[in-house]
Amino acid sequence: MGLKISNVNKSYGDKKVVDNINLQINNPGVFGLLGTNGAGKTTTIRMLLGILKKDSGEITWNDKKVERKHVNFGYLPEERGIYPKTKIYDQLVYFAKLKGMTTKQADKAIDYWMKRLEVEQYKNMTAEKLSKGNQQKIQFITAILHDPELVVLDEPFSGLDPVNTELLRNIILELVNQGKYIIMSAHQMSVVEEFCTDILILNKGKTVLQGNLKQIKDTYKANKLSIISKDDIEEKIKEANLSIIFKKENEYQIKITENEETYKLLESLVKNNIKVEKFEINKPSLHDIFIEKVGE
Amino acid sequence: MKDLWLVASYTFKDLVKRKSFIVSNIIILAMVIIGFNIPNILKSFVDVNVTEEGTKIVVLDTQDLFEGTLETLNQYQEQIGYNIQVKKDLTEEQVKEQIKAEEINEAIVISKSDNGININYLVKSIGMTSSIPQNVITTIQDTYKNLQISKLNVTQEQLIKINQPFNIEMNQVEEKEAGGNILVMMILSLVLFYAIYFYAYQVSTSITTEKTSKIIETLVTSTSPRVIVLGKTIGIGLVGLMQTAVTVIVALICAKICVTQEMLESILDLSNFTPTLAITSIIYYVLGYSLFALLYALTGSTVAKPEDIQSANGPVAILTLVGFYLSYFTMMNPTSELNAFASMCPISSPFCMPFRIMMGIASATDILISIAILLVTILVVAKVSIKIYSSAILNYGSKINFKDMMKMYKNKND
Repeated sequence: MGLKISNVNKSYGDKKVVDNINLQINNPGVFGLLGTNGAGKTTTIRMLLGILKKDSGEITWNDKKVERKHVNFGYLPEERGIYPKTKIYDQLVYFAKLKGMTTKQADKAIDYWMKRLEVEQYKNMTAEKLSKGNQQKIQFITAILHDPELVVLDEPFSGLDPVNTELLRNIILELVNQGKYIIMSAHQMSVVEEFCTDILILNKGKTVLQGNLKQIKDTYKANKLSIISKDDIEEKIKEANLSIIFKKENEYQIKITENEETYKLLESLVKNNIKVEKFEINKPSLHDIFIEKVGE
Repeated sequence: MKDLWLVASYTFKDLVKRKSFIVSNIIILAMVIIGFNIPNILKSFVDVNVTEEGTKIVVLDTQDLFEGTLETLNQYQEQIGYNIQVKKDLTEEQVKEQIKAEEINEAIVISKSDNGININYLVKSIGMTSSIPQNVITTIQDTYKNLQISKLNVTQEQLIKINQPFNIEMNQVEEKEAGGNILVMMILSLVLFYAIYFYAYQVSTSITTEKTSKIIETLVTSTSPRVIVLGKTIGIGLVGLMQTAVTVIVALICAKICVTQEMLESILDLSNFTPTLAITSIIYYVLGYSLFALLYALTGSTVAKPEDIQSANGPVAILTLVGFYLSYFTMMNPTSELNAFASMCPISSPFCMPFRIMMGIASATDILISIAILLVTILVVAKVSIKIYSSAILNYGSKINFKDMMKMYKNKND
């Protein structure tokens, strides 16, 4: 059971946009597909959904070729769009029926999801009268209305305010608990760290990092020290041969290479009776790893 | 098949529910109704006092030039609704006063001078619909001529010989004979052209709107590009068929109710408009529309910005116009080879063949060949359009040119 992408390639003319991608998702959960703009994420997603033909390679879902008739999938594209002059209800029913639902089933699902996403008051309004955020919520409903097994969410949180981000966050967690396979593309690394168990980072069509997020992070040594102190400790940091990355009010971010230097600094602070509110050794965040892999 | 019907019915409902569609239809139907009533409206301003007895006309012959023979004019009372009274004892001034007072509608004052017989036709005011009733005037002239001839002691037999009617007709030497009312044919051809052009163009607009509003991303993951293109073409085609049918039915009802039979027959001779012609016209509408709609689907999918629609659709619009004018201008000489070519050429046959059928110069074989050519062309265009649409629809970059389209078609993997 699951999704398998093997040796998939895609070129536009002479430009290779996806270069030999391989990935496997065997268990329900959220898979993070990351990369800079133009890295090949959307092309990969389009090939995965069968709306763009690959040059070579194989994509299977439960060992069957990915085709509309074999896979019950939902898709929230990065490019947001709904019919501007059509009533929300009419277009939701249209998409639900195209996904094989009956009018009765569609009605029930529409009522549930519109309430869940707090947009039921817009049911009989035309889409052009809705705010961008609400339009995005409607488009999200079209992606999950038919209870798909595989959900592809391309930048699901972009353009949402904190309240709606929280709403969508809870729904994604709910979908994970229901055993859905979710592929999420996002630029906010905090979101990816929160949801994703496995990730794949693309850079110019090539895979630069892939695997279980926790295992990836474990391979990295601590590289940052965070200290909060009301006293001026700059002198002490320099004495310990450490350099400050940035300082904001009482907080210091310090670059470290060996834990030994860190302990020396701590010892020096204690010896000089300097009060410290926070002393934290950090491993690189996904943001840092991402910058390291695709930043050059 | 289920998806095809879903896309078609959604497109149909979405279009007919729009305010712009409802308003434009009300305007079109109002224009049709007003158009057919223009003669009545204008007449109501001019002939305010036309009674049930008909238009009251006084023929004033003060000099008794006709010696009482003008009574023959009374035969027109039943034929065309004139109520004619021949008077000798009134003056021209008195007749004018009667017209002013609306006691009578019009008057014909006959007098003789050195230059000949003068006829002064008096009306209350000269308007757009005012005209001298030629049949009445001809009868007056004939009556006077006959009166003068009879004074020459000519026998009735001789009189008939003198007044021998000339039966003039035109015949052609070619075997195929064209018949029918050219005006009706031009109207039919124009209706077909506008219906095909207007609705086929809507397919392009609809596809571009889906692309520019980015809804297409969701749509192509819900059903195949083939279903989208064909469903959209069918949906909009059905709207066109319904709208054209409603307009034509309203026009026919108006013609029946608002226009007198004589006037209708003199302008539009619908005797050649048979049920067979109606059915073949519908078939040609459907096929012609399908051809141009699929071409417009292709151009519509290549546009990324709404402002580029017109320039992208230009070549197809020109092709439609060439087809239409090829058929329209060869109508003047329907038995010409160019018109026969226009009835077979797929871009012009939808406008031309119904006209040849109405003229009675198209054989059943001609019609079948023409439909077969059109069908094959539609299948080829559909194949190319759907293939290019599938590649072009997700391309949001700059407008796709002809070279790119060819590449997309050739590239089997795309």
